[in-house]
Parts: sequence; C-alpha cells; structure tokens
Amino acid sequence: MNDLLAEYGSWLTDFLPNDYYERYSEYRWDIGLRRDHQRAAFEAGWLQPTWPREHGGRSLGLAEAMEIRLEAAMRSAPKLPNVAGPGVAAPGIRQFGTPEQIDRLLVPLLRGDEWWALGMSEPEAGSDFAGLRTRAVRDGDTFRVKGTKIWTTQAHLSRWCTLYARTDPDAPKHRGISCLILDLESPGVTIEPIRMASISDETFCEVILDDVEIPVENLLGPCNGGWQVAMSSLNHERQMIWIMNWVEIQRGLNSVRESTAHHDDDAAGEVFAELGSLLADAEALRATGYRALNNELSGRPSPESGILKLLGSLTLQRVWELDAAAAGPRSIDDADLLFERQDALAATIYGGTSEIQRNIIAERLLGLPKG
Amino acid sequence: MDVGLNSGQLALRDSVRDVLRTECPPTIARQAITDPQRWRTVWKTVVDLGWTELAVPSADSSFGRMELLVVLEECGATIAPIPLLSSVGLAAGVLRVAGAAVDDVLAEIGGGAVAALAVHPPGHRLPAVPMTLADGRVRGRAVAVPGLPRADLIVTLAASADGPVAAVVRVGDGVTVHDAECTDPAQPIADVEIDAEPVVIAPVDLDSAFATPLVAAAADLVGVAGAALARSVAYAKSRQQFGKPIGAFQGIKHALADNYVALERARGLTYAAAARLDDAATPPAAGWNAAALAKAAAGEAAVGCARTAVQVHGALAQTWEHDMHLYLRHAWQGASTLGDSRALYHAVGRRFAGGAA
Repeated sequence: MNDLLAEYGSWLTDFLPNDYYERYSEYRWDIGLRRDHQRAAFEAGWLQPTWPREHGGRSLGLAEAMEIRLEAAMRSAPKLPNVAGPGVAAPGIRQFGTPEQIDRLLVPLLRGDEWWALGMSEPEAGSDFAGLRTRAVRDGDTFRVKGTKIWTTQAHLSRWCTLYARTDPDAPKHRGISCLILDLESPGVTIEPIRMASISDETFCEVILDDVEIPVENLLGPCNGGWQVAMSSLNHERQMIWIMNWVEIQRGLNSVRESTAHHDDDAAGEVFAELGSLLADAEALRATGYRALNNELSGRPSPESGILKLLGSLTLQRVWELDAAAAGPRSIDDADLLFERQDALAATIYGGTSEIQRNIIAERLLGLPKG
Repeated sequence: MDVGLNSGQLALRDSVRDVLRTECPPTIARQAITDPQRWRTVWKTVVDLGWTELAVPSADSSFGRMELLVVLEECGATIAPIPLLSSVGLAAGVLRVAGAAVDDVLAEIGGGAVAALAVHPPGHRLPAVPMTLADGRVRGRAVAVPGLPRADLIVTLAASADGPVAAVVRVGDGVTVHDAECTDPAQPIADVEIDAEPVVIAPVDLDSAFATPLVAAAADLVGVAGAALARSVAYAKSRQQFGKPIGAFQGIKHALADNYVALERARGLTYAAAARLDDAATPPAAGWNAAALAKAAAGEAAVGCARTAVQVHGALAQTWEHDMHLYLRHAWQGASTLGDSRALYHAVGRRFAGGAA
C-alpha cells in the first residue's frame, strides 16, 4: 500500500508544474492542464484505480483505490474537466454497454477526447426524475426523440449525452424509461448554454430535441431499464463524492485558521465553537467513509454511507460561510471566496437534493412509510 | 484506517444486548430513581459476567478499548442505572495512562469495586485538574462527580510540584461527599471535598488522561441517541393521524433523518477516536482532539435524538410512565459532564486555529 501511494505521489509530483501550489488559484481554471492530467492519469492507470489497465486503472481493491483518491484530493490534483464522463457515464457504459459500445466509446471518454453530458433533468422533472416527459418512439431501426433537457452541464462542449427518455408511456413511471446514447452532433439537436450566476466551467445548457433520430443500437442497458442505469451510474459517483467534499472542507478550515490569525478584535474567538463543530463534521465524513468501506469489504451492509452526501454537502456550505465570517469585511473583495460560496450551493442540489437525501434516509434506512 | 467493529466485536455487542434486554430494560432506570439500592442486583450480574474487567487493558488487546466502547454503548442504549461508565470508563480510563503504579487499583476496579472520576473544578465547563498535591496529601474540591454516591474509590487529578498526577483516594476519612439533586437520579452525582492521603499517585499527561474518559462517555451517549431514535421510528410507523402513519409526513421524516445523521456522525467519530487512541503513533494532543470531538458530537446526538423523540411522541412523552424522560435525563446529564458539546468544540477549534493541533 505504502509503495503504491509513494508511486502515485511521485507520479503526481512529476506531472504538476513546479509552481502549481503557489498559483493554484489560477491553475484550477486551466482546462489545458486539467485535460493533460486526465490523459496522463488514464495512461498511468490512476484515473479509475479499480478498473483494468485498458480502462485507465490498475485493477486495485476498493481500499487501495480509496487511498489513491484521498491522496489525489489531499494534494489538490487537477480536477477532471468533464466529471460527468469518467464519474457517471463511464461506470454506466462499463456495466450496461454492449461490447461494441464499450469498444467505440470508453477509451475516448476516459482519455478526455470526447466529453459527455447527462441528459436527465427536464423543465418539469428535477427531483422527480422518473416523471420525465421526453419521448422516444421506436421507428424501425431508430428511436425518434422529442423533448427538452435542461441544466445539462457542459452539453455545448460534449460529443455524447446519456439521454433518458420515455419509451413506454403506459408503464408505471419508473419502468417506462430508457437510456439512449445520443450523438450531440445529430440533426435536430439544439444546444443553448445558460449564463451562470457565478464564474464556472460547468456551464448549464438547455438541450432541445426536435425529432432526433437515435439508432436502436445506441440503447444503453435494456429497453425500459433506464431507471436502473441511472441509479447505478449515479451511485458510483455518490460513493466517492465525500472525498471531494472532505478535501474542500479541509481547504476551507485552513482558510478560517489563516483568517483568525489576523484577528485583534472582541469577536476573535467567536468562530472557535463553529470551527470545532466543522472539524468534527470533516472527521466524521472520513470515519464514515472508512466504516462503510470496511463493512462492504466484509460483506456487511453499510447503511451509514447514507449520511455522506447530506453531511458532506451541508458541511461544505457551512465552512465557507464561517470563512466569510472569519474574514470579516475582507470577505467582500475576495473573488475566490465568492466562487467557493456560490459553488458550494450546488452541492446540496446536484446528485439528489438534501430533501431527497433525507427522504431516502427516512424511507430506506429507517423504514418509514412513503408519503 | 480501520474504523468500525470487527466480527468479534459485533458478536460481543449482540451478546451484551441480549443480556441487557432481559436483565436491565429501561424500566429498571425508573425503579432506580426511587430505590437507591436498585442498581446493586444489576451490578452483580455485570461483575459476574466480567464486564468490569474491561477496566484492565489486556496484553493482547483482545479485550481492549473498542470492546469497552461496545459494552458502554449498549448500556447507554438501555440506560442501565449502573456505574459501569463512571467506574470502568471514566475513572479507570484515566488510570490506563498512569503506568504500573496503579495496576492494583485497576485490578480492584476490574473486580467490581466502584470508582468515580473527580475532574470538574468548580466553575469550569471543561474537565481539568481540581486538586493539589502537597506534603503527601491531596486537597481540593470537585463538582458533579458521576457515580460518586456509589463509589468506594475516587480517581482525581492533582497539581504537584512535578506536574500533574493522577491520584486515587479511598472514600472515608478526609473525603466529604455532598450529595446533589441531579437531572438523572438513576445515575447519581455528587460534589466532593478532599483532604486525604492518596492510596497511590502517578504522573500523567493531561491530554492522554482525558482521552479514554471522553471517548467512553461518547459511547454511552451514542447508545442513548440510537435507542431514542429507534423509539421515534417505531412510534412514527404505528401512530396514525389524518389517516396515515405520522412517519409518512416529511416534517417527521426529515427530523428523524437529521437525527440519523447526528447519530452516525457521532458513532463514526467515536470509533475513529478509539482507532486513533489504539495507534501508538498518535500524539496525545491529536488523541485528545479526536476524543473531544467524539464526546461533543455524541452529546449533541443524544440530546437531539431524545428531544426529537419527546416531540414525536407528543403528550405521551410528558408522562412518568413513558421511558423517554428517562432517556432525556440521561442524555442531558451525560452531555454536560466532561465538557459540554459547545465547550469541547470551542476548545478543539481554538487549538486548531492556534496551530496546536
């Protein structure tokens, strides 16, 4: 394990520019560097450590992969420029794809040559994902698709989209959805980027589908089995998202520490109790991540992992709010802090809102009846 | 990092749970409030089963700190009115780091003698050093000593010319116990004045001395939180209003989901603190921080889950016959001994901001 971590660590050191940490606030926006990092990580087998070599991994166990991911996060390794690809679409393709789909799509995705968008949310289907209205009607060897997707991150930069559409309008709503792999260059696809409230490289788009033809062989998973494809793809990311939250929380906590060092007024100690509480949250995330992993490795259920998304996202927001408090009026002219505060607001929405997370905990873990 | 219970510890948990289900359901705590001797029969069972032997760290660590936490969590879950936490968790917890000089005292506690930990100087929110050691005598006052009315021995901390020491004093001459009204009479506390010759003294590092008591108190409170939440869930599934179980309403669901987060947050911190304390490479300050955060989180979880449970049960929980006031009493009292949650968070936050951790 230590050898492996050392090997990864020195690989990362070799990759990063010498002034990476001094100029992190610039490099974090450097898409070129982030693209190069993804390609290099794919080739070295650090991209998805549990996967085999040809898919950007080293066939590592879950525990080893977690250590690699933690190390990457703690060292602020460049973020994937298109998280939806390797984080969500790729696990779905690996699990549900035909050999032809895997052969055509997976390596360009993992190398970062082709970006992916997730065609899930619609104007009338957000948390109620299964209520989506985009229709796909079988017509010989194609599906003809009509509908509108929205909040589709990076669609304007992507080649492909995992498009969820209703293929059986008569079935119960969870059972009439299919996942289709949409080539975003197809005729009838219109993509409109949406201006974001903050600086962002994860721009939302509206994707309008006007009688778009998708070949039947682009079905991912079984026809009308799209719900399972979606849940399984998202689950892969959900298990790891706490690591990203945890590291960003650490960054926020360190920033609070720096701010309090400059205090000389009566409110100087005001932040300590909240700071301690946030330190507990951060440590609880890590402890729970490890507990869940140990349970999974021992073949036991790991219900405690159900708190990771909710606790991680809420803590992330609180830490940047405390950082703003600790900075006092200096928080106002701090563009990096503004970005952190705005960016953290998304964490309690994407991948299932906090309200949906609480419903899941109450219904699936505590066994309370559905409303 | 190994966080959580292994299969042996899970088996221990199940067997402890089975014993307590028959020997010590929560109604025993209600009886203990009016009958000051009620705890003795349960205590005899617990001593006979060997649970007090958890006071003595075993050489091969097969019966170690984690096993102690497992037992304390189950005792908290059933609010067992016995001095297992105060004697084996708190008092013996300090002595764990006091070296070979205290081996005989640990063996006595392991055999069922009841000890109490006196570490609250008057006017302090956090545990500290309430006594002085000079001319061979321990002198001073401590308040809110858990389990003292039942104790044979007092473990305390004293300032000496050579730095802090753990001191053991036998209850008797030179020890004045002031019984106090307390929130949870099933777990009586008392104040104490001491001017006595100690049985034994041993130098200790304060961060190390408080670490095991803090994490032991956390385990007890995690047990309380888990049991209170389980009661809420069971009631929310069965109680019908507006034609459906109240647990189908999001107002109830989300409150209980937040309880679950608080519970598992505290449990994870408690297990992780134990793992850190079991690792010889952990510096004392880091061990104290981990234990303090676990205690702070567990206090919040216990009080939060018990208060929510009262709310979910409505008027029912306002009655003497319902168990929930017993859980809330235990939670309130436990949450404010060895440092309340806010004071502990504040202390850890200040250490972090000062670069001390």
